[in-house]
Amino acid sequence: MPDVLVQAVVSGVLIGGLYAVMSVGISLSWGALKIINLAHFSFILLGAYVTYQLTASLGWDPLLTLAVVIPGGFLAGVAMQVFFEWTKVDEFQSLIISFGIFIIFQSVTRSIWTADFRTIPTDRNPYATASWFVGDIAIQLAPFIAFVAALGIAVGTTYLLTRTYFGKSVRAIAHDPEIARAFGVDHRRVAILLSGLAMAFSAMAGTFIATFQSLSPAVSFAWFGIVFPVVILGGLGNSVGALGAGVLVGVAAGIATALWGPLAAPLVTFLILIAALLFRPEGLFASRSAV
Amino acid sequence: MTARRRSLVGFALVFLVLLLVPIFAERVDAPGFYLTFMFTAFFWIGQATSWNMLTGYTGYFSFGQGAWFGIGVYTIGILAAKEGWPFLLALPVGGILAAVAGTLLGVVVFRLRRLGGEIFALTTLAIAFVFASLARLFPFIDGGRGIFMTGTPLPEFLGDFRRAMYWLTLVVAAVTVLTAYLIHESRLGWGMFAIRDDEQVAEGLGVPAFRTKMLALVANAFFSGMMGGVWALQIGFITVEDVFNIRVPLFVILMSVLGGMTHWLGPAVGAIIIFTLTDRLNSAGLEDVNLVIIGTLLIVLVLAVREGVYLRLAERWRITVPIFVGAMILFGLTPIGSSVIWDFTFASFVTLLVSLIPTRAEPARIDDDGAERQAA
Amino acid sequence: MRMLAGTKLSKRFGGIQALDDVSVNIDEGDILGLVGPNGSGKSTLINVLSGYHQADSGSALFGGVDLLGLEPHEIAASGVARTYQIPRPFSSMTVLENVALSFMFGRNRHSLDEARSATAGWLEFTGLSDVAAEPIDQLTLHQLKFLELARALATEPKLLLLDEVLAGLNPTEIEESIDMIRRIHSRGITLVIVEHVIRVVTALSTRIIVLDQGRVIAVGQPDEVMREPDVVKAYLGSRWKHA
Repeated sequence: MPDVLVQAVVSGVLIGGLYAVMSVGISLSWGALKIINLAHFSFILLGAYVTYQLTASLGWDPLLTLAVVIPGGFLAGVAMQVFFEWTKVDEFQSLIISFGIFIIFQSVTRSIWTADFRTIPTDRNPYATASWFVGDIAIQLAPFIAFVAALGIAVGTTYLLTRTYFGKSVRAIAHDPEIARAFGVDHRRVAILLSGLAMAFSAMAGTFIATFQSLSPAVSFAWFGIVFPVVILGGLGNSVGALGAGVLVGVAAGIATALWGPLAAPLVTFLILIAALLFRPEGLFASRSAV
Repeated sequence: MTARRRSLVGFALVFLVLLLVPIFAERVDAPGFYLTFMFTAFFWIGQATSWNMLTGYTGYFSFGQGAWFGIGVYTIGILAAKEGWPFLLALPVGGILAAVAGTLLGVVVFRLRRLGGEIFALTTLAIAFVFASLARLFPFIDGGRGIFMTGTPLPEFLGDFRRAMYWLTLVVAAVTVLTAYLIHESRLGWGMFAIRDDEQVAEGLGVPAFRTKMLALVANAFFSGMMGGVWALQIGFITVEDVFNIRVPLFVILMSVLGGMTHWLGPAVGAIIIFTLTDRLNSAGLEDVNLVIIGTLLIVLVLAVREGVYLRLAERWRITVPIFVGAMILFGLTPIGSSVIWDFTFASFVTLLVSLIPTRAEPARIDDDGAERQAA
Repeated sequence: MRMLAGTKLSKRFGGIQALDDVSVNIDEGDILGLVGPNGSGKSTLINVLSGYHQADSGSALFGGVDLLGLEPHEIAASGVARTYQIPRPFSSMTVLENVALSFMFGRNRHSLDEARSATAGWLEFTGLSDVAAEPIDQLTLHQLKFLELARALATEPKLLLLDEVLAGLNPTEIEESIDMIRRIHSRGITLVIVEHVIRVVTALSTRIIVLDQGRVIAVGQPDEVMREPDVVKAYLGSRWKHA
């Protein structure tokens, strides 16, 4: 294999970790709470801008901003679930309503940070340019951190969902909310906590994005094309599946970019999605879904 | 039969009157922006109505309107502007190409019975991005350079640009609405409604679900592509970013949800209201808050007016029609509205507010759920 | 005359063998009763024959065509209709429109104008004439069950599969429904009925098939079958357990 392709695969695996972090929150809330929440994209974006702002104006280390971004995301997720519980929306309404929320945040983000591209100043960002070399193959630090975080999230949520009382409650309400309620599971509380957790993951993905990519409100549209293939390929509510699917999409897009240029990547991603829908609509990793 | 004949006669009358507006407008020396306002409204009526043939009728929610619209725009850009085809020859090609793309999507996502509506919705969300990257990737479409539309020759009998746009959008919108009406009043349309209510039961009673959904999707793509082709003329310079963005899908969803997705005329009414609103906000210099208002409106409408305002307006026509006419006269005579468009905006909102006053007969939604659960 | 020949039908859901090599024959003019404890495969059999679920293996010849190779709407067009245990009316339509839709599609193709005028017969037959113009949410469970019947009849079926028509009804309504089923049969429609109330099944059926854990354990005349020791054991045994 020529070096260009090896490099594409290595980078693809690492960026796949970022895709997994971006997707896992949506996957969890769709799989377990039956809410398709497009506002996750808004909070990925918002998380990224908060990281940018704190590093650019206060000089924080980018990863230190997680201390603000994660709790912020959690609270946003909690608030959103409280709203959804209050309005008693079904799956489709959640999709349309969160689409409205997404549009509002687009405007708000643009009015605060303008439509121009923003990048964390290089002197404030130790992660952007750092990389290790194995032979001629570069391993960039910033996506590597995202990948490690994705591994942590996959292992952590799987443990949480399969080994703890909270996880059992989540699986119970995902399976049948009525029966879960009859057995004394507090649906509302479990759903609110899970939504907070899911949104915290998404906000966290924003921080990782900010460490090595330029930001503009419009980039969030392009994420749709990455995140939904990952969510569906990985299987709804399956965090390990999301990591596997993220890596698959990352590698495929990386190879496509290396061979045909960056514009080919979304096409390849979409083709994978279509193939998955045709042959494994329950997800590639659905033998044992966590939720 | 009589009801149908009455609808068709009414439809023909409205169409004829609208057809004559440009000639009349010239006589009274009306400012040109009235025609622009109206043909932009026709554009949205066509887009929203075509979207509703799929989503309102069959219940399959589509975010893909931008893709069909974009295929129409780019077909005209390539065939008429670059290759020099006569516009009226290139126009149906755009519609047909959009329909072909719709067919391909439908074959993939409708073939499997186990694929739910959510998967369909998200696939349509992704498809516009795919067309966008195709357009950027291939130089014969766009290649990232854009296409200049200026100087695309229009048939001479359509008169100057404004009038040509007016008549073209009017005809495409009228054919779209007429098709939506004819489907609504046909066996095919009832098959679609049955699928929306309960696809499995419909199929079990003999409704060929796959074929029916395909027809809905193809009709949506075709009419959206046709209208996109006309709209290409209005865009001086076509770029991928302007064509395949979220604007078109967002607005058609909003318009249809507001107007009412179960009735053939609902999206058209919603289109007029939303377009008037955004047009006035823009002319008042409020572009920035525009999307915030639109997004908020979408959320509130989904939660509050589930059946859409058209049915409300129609049910209470004895109240709403006089109020609208009265308000138009009132605002026309007083200096509150500075132009006819402002008068129309204010009158519409007064009428809408009145129509939205809840009646006591309305059952709360929670009761519905409870009843369902008990039945189960 | 043989109407439907089902051979070695099998269907698995995850770890549960819902149908295990079930063979079932239906003759023209039958009222075939399907009985068995909960989860014995009665409803699955109806779901498989109507195309609602896809069988894993087997065949079901109906008029020379294997139903298992057809789409559900083709099965409806060939003359097999079904009802649902929990009524599933089209909620955006009125009672009349529900019936008109079935007539328009169903076994024969009809136009919308034909359908609107042709529904009166079925509405009257099922006693729904008074509520014809009502939306669905105004109906009682009893009326919803009869709407299921009216809708199935409007498809002009040769074979009608009834899934627990009586469940949830009070004694008076049950008597009314039994009478209705007899009247449907006397119109020349062959019936398969799935029912929990044994008394009703034995009274109505010309033949009975007893299922237990996805297998056929007895076939025959109602009074004979219900006395077989296997049936008594499977049926009553598990009934006690469930109770």
